[in-house]
Amino acid sequence: MDRISVNPGSVEWSGENPGIYLKSDPDGDYSVVALFFRIVLSPHGRGVGAIILGDPDTAAGYPEVPNLCLTDNRPMMTYLLDNFASKFPTLVGRAGVEAMSWHDVTKNNQDNRNMPHSYSEELTAGDVTVQMTWKDLQPPMAIEVGPNESATKAHDMYAVFLEATDARITINGTALQGQVVDRQFFGRTMSTAFLALSETWVNPNENG
Amino acid sequence: MPIKPNVRTGGVDWTGENPGMLLKTDPAGDWSVLMLFFRIVWSPVGPGNILLLYENPGKGAGLPECCNVIMADNEALRDYIKTGFIEKLGTFSDAPAYAASSQLTIDNVVSDGDPCGDFYSETVTGGGLTIKLVWEELGKPTALELPPELTGTGEHVMYSLLVDSKSCYVEVNGRRLEGHPVPREQAGLPLSTAFLYYSETWIFPDK
Repeated sequence: MDRISVNPGSVEWSGENPGIYLKSDPDGDYSVVALFFRIVLSPHGRGVGAIILGDPDTAAGYPEVPNLCLTDNRPMMTYLLDNFASKFPTLVGRAGVEAMSWHDVTKNNQDNRNMPHSYSEELTAGDVTVQMTWKDLQPPMAIEVGPNESATKAHDMYAVFLEATDARITINGTALQGQVVDRQFFGRTMSTAFLALSETWVNPNENG
Repeated sequence: MPIKPNVRTGGVDWTGENPGMLLKTDPAGDWSVLMLFFRIVWSPVGPGNILLLYENPGKGAGLPECCNVIMADNEALRDYIKTGFIEKLGTFSDAPAYAASSQLTIDNVVSDGDPCGDFYSETVTGGGLTIKLVWEELGKPTALELPPELTGTGEHVMYSLLVDSKSCYVEVNGRRLEGHPVPREQAGLPLSTAFLYYSETWIFPDK
């Protein structure tokens, strides 16, 4: 296959973007769609954030339903949501995206000391604490995709993925309902919980 | 030209961040300071931070004579990176400072600044040292995918996000070390010997 040592495109952002998608009914739609972001480079600076849709198709936010966005950098998170996350197949068209409540993060704890057994991210915003935990991490795989295969259908993307065979999300200690399921991902059967580390998104148009 | 989809069949060696500085006081002379910092988010022996700093690369001595140090908060990771990576980078492993460096424990690392802004810094503390690494005059972020013949080890495929830096400095307990970055070339790009590398992944050759 063709390799390009220096990608001529414009770098959009880089960092970590793990996710957890759960189903209450294995044959139904996702009951929980959640993404975490730790961004080291973007046009709006660095920061952390998470999109948690515990009721993805309901046009309401927290505390009415568990649809919320937490971040320590709102311009960065708005950029990521508008240009990337909202175009991901798991989020596109979800009523919860527009209606979710926004919360300013005051504290973030990452616990990566127990890999490969578990990995967690915890965000606190006022009286709301969200914890995302990935369990039983599998060996990493390095991937690269072009616009036809990337989640936005518009970018080159490089990343290291680690499948987690189980995962859990809690809001103030209460777990959201659902279990991970299998899906086809880059030609492999993988669970819907994953770490995406060292991830870089590039606009392939040379001048961005 | 867009890249094509691929899952690498070669295993991941490690992934994370790997900024550095190679400084000279005389552009025609030897290195006056060598520094590599690692923030590793996955390796077979766990994540962690490593700082390799030679205040005097040509001197086979460590503390207290000079600040030739290798600091880490994960000893297994330090040893994994030393044998599997550093010892394949002759500039660092052939220097007399390498074997003589004092090995210290990292207590804390704090990042500041913005790689798309005016500066970026890492401040590493431990063993009675506070070491501040500052990169300035930052370039446009560039995504790299280098084949083995273009990587430092000569063995791996490497993905990385490069931010070049035309100005930088190292301070050890408030004392600034001598030297400035000099020009270098990588993958045909005219660059400086001060650099930030984010989201960097070292991959063993495809099976």
